[in-house]
Amino acid sequence: MKIRGDIVRTYRDVHSWVGIIAGLFLFVAFYAGAITMFEQPLQEWASAANPPPVSTPFERLPALMEKLFAAHPEAARNYSITLPAATPGQGQLSWSIAKPGAHGHGPATQVSLNDQGDLVMVQDQPSGAARFVDVLHQQVGLPFPHTLSMLLMGTVALLYAVALVSGVIAFLPGLAKNLFAVSIGRNSKKMWLDMHNLLGVFSLPFHLIMALTSVVFAFHEPIFATQQWLLGGSSAHQHMQGGPRHGGGHGRGGVAHGGHGPAGTEHGGQLPVAVQPAGEHQGPSDHGPVTGHDGVGLPQHEGSPDPAQGNDQKNAAAPRTPLPPQQIVAALAAQAPGFVPDSLTYTQRPGAGVALNVAGHDPRYSMRGPVSGFAGVDPYTGKIISADYLPGHQGTGFSIITTFFALHFGSFGGVAVRWGYVVLGLGGAFLFYTGNRLWIASRQKQERKTGLVEETRGTRFLACLTSGCTLGCVAGISAIFCAVPFLPHGGTYPVVMGLYYAVFCLFVAAAFLLGSQRCDRILLVGAGVLTALVPVAASVGRQQGDWLSPVNQAVGLTSVLVGVFLLVCAFRKIRVSSQRRLSA
Amino acid sequence: MNTQASFSKPEPLSSRNWFPKVSAAVVAGGLLTFGIMGVVGLLCHSDASPRTLSAQFLLWLVALVWCVLLSVCFLFRSGRQAWAVLAVANVLVWGLFFAIRGLVS
Repeated sequence: MKIRGDIVRTYRDVHSWVGIIAGLFLFVAFYAGAITMFEQPLQEWASAANPPPVSTPFERLPALMEKLFAAHPEAARNYSITLPAATPGQGQLSWSIAKPGAHGHGPATQVSLNDQGDLVMVQDQPSGAARFVDVLHQQVGLPFPHTLSMLLMGTVALLYAVALVSGVIAFLPGLAKNLFAVSIGRNSKKMWLDMHNLLGVFSLPFHLIMALTSVVFAFHEPIFATQQWLLGGSSAHQHMQGGPRHGGGHGRGGVAHGGHGPAGTEHGGQLPVAVQPAGEHQGPSDHGPVTGHDGVGLPQHEGSPDPAQGNDQKNAAAPRTPLPPQQIVAALAAQAPGFVPDSLTYTQRPGAGVALNVAGHDPRYSMRGPVSGFAGVDPYTGKIISADYLPGHQGTGFSIITTFFALHFGSFGGVAVRWGYVVLGLGGAFLFYTGNRLWIASRQKQERKTGLVEETRGTRFLACLTSGCTLGCVAGISAIFCAVPFLPHGGTYPVVMGLYYAVFCLFVAAAFLLGSQRCDRILLVGAGVLTALVPVAASVGRQQGDWLSPVNQAVGLTSVLVGVFLLVCAFRKIRVSSQRRLSA
Repeated sequence: MNTQASFSKPEPLSSRNWFPKVSAAVVAGGLLTFGIMGVVGLLCHSDASPRTLSAQFLLWLVALVWCVLLSVCFLFRSGRQAWAVLAVANVLVWGLFFAIRGLVS
């Protein structure tokens, strides 16, 4: 392909600068994102020591709900029934209270009946480990409040998009020639360049999708607000109601009953934790089910006006009670065969009826959320009101949009695709690492050419920063998973967060203290050992040893593989440097 | 933009004057993107309610157009040209937007 030389040179410069700015953020996003592929099983794995939620047979659910609402009328405003696949015919009821003006909802409370028929309520105290990694992924590793983090994440996503386009333009001309020529050896610049090109070319479509979807995730809120401003008609205020919820629950002023998201379902074991939006900004919906990643997943449920308004008048005339869950499930099975409901989330707005959103999966179709598709259901008749996000029942337009979401979440094609996404995610992280290494190596080469013996401060700074941030991220996440079996409740969110950032900062500080020559090997060894220790910690820390469960095996095997990879890299470096010392 | 850059025999492109180009793409390009969103939104009668297909389509359109503008802005010969072209495009698009909105309402 022929591209003018000056254009290629321009874009090569753009690519390296944009890449160097965004690279480390993207590394964290991709490494954590790869792990987030299995957020739900990891959540269960991390919460294994906690008492499991109690299931109630379908027949007893109406009685349970009646008792609960009599004792706690506020529970009727936001409750949810999780339908674990392991126990068909049973559901786990939980509710959470709204905290107007505060962050999202309170913790979920699991409800069941004991043998005497009394209410038993257990406060849910889930492990924060898996969710923290998800938030880390969404906020590209930044510990800031959600709104600010989204802005920065969006900026990184835009830089990422520019880096992809400029990378393609800059390296297209010479690519066909040296695509498969990976020269591993003495010339480190050439080696990193070859690896970077090879990885970049073969994962380009994946990265294009990720860049575009991330921009959408980051900026959907201001964009929707602008749309409203430009085009908004009568429905404008609806979004404004739903809008602030993305902002971490701040400024919910106008909404009488701020986001009491279906917290109940959140940690119920079965319901997609992965679907939970970022940390603070729970309360994913004032009204809707747990939405996608960022709420873009399900804008339609913001406000869920249809069911609510539809039933409004009827309600005013004669208050009715929703159908029992069993009948809802049966009605769904008749209307959408193949769609397996995972949770029913009921929300009530003052002055409106109850809205029911069903999250579920259908292995035959790609899904809007990270682990589920959604149906808006009339809780009084069981009729599907909204099939816009119902797998296999969407219109063409919504199917196309769902495809983009599914391509980001890997929520299609089952477990095999998820593992594929883990590989692509780790590959992506490695791509950004090689990019930074390449930058450093080429600067070192240049500096040596100009006769400098020592590398300049800028190069040294970047070398330390690259090693510290990337290996700090890996080690921080591994440290979390090492600690989970020993922490009470599998580590609450603040504890897990503190641990991660402590390890991360330690690694970054160590990188600068050790200097660019030595930091690599030592930090590689540190991160490698921590990662390889995950299965050891799991088998030591857990009393009852079901550590042959598939999740435990997968966690163990993956972390050993990553750990060994890091250690091998470390020993390669040690060998190379000792050879150098000998030859010198 | 590419064609504009190659009207006369130009001096070679370089990445030196990136700031005016990028700022043009961010500010004027962002404004232009929203203008395009407005025009397309009017043409497909979007009511901007986020749960509708049209609103979501417009959301993706904005992301795509802005990414493309940010990526190609380096092809402008100079920062001044970038600002000029994008400003003219803004005037056209926003003029169209207000014209259509006037006609519709």
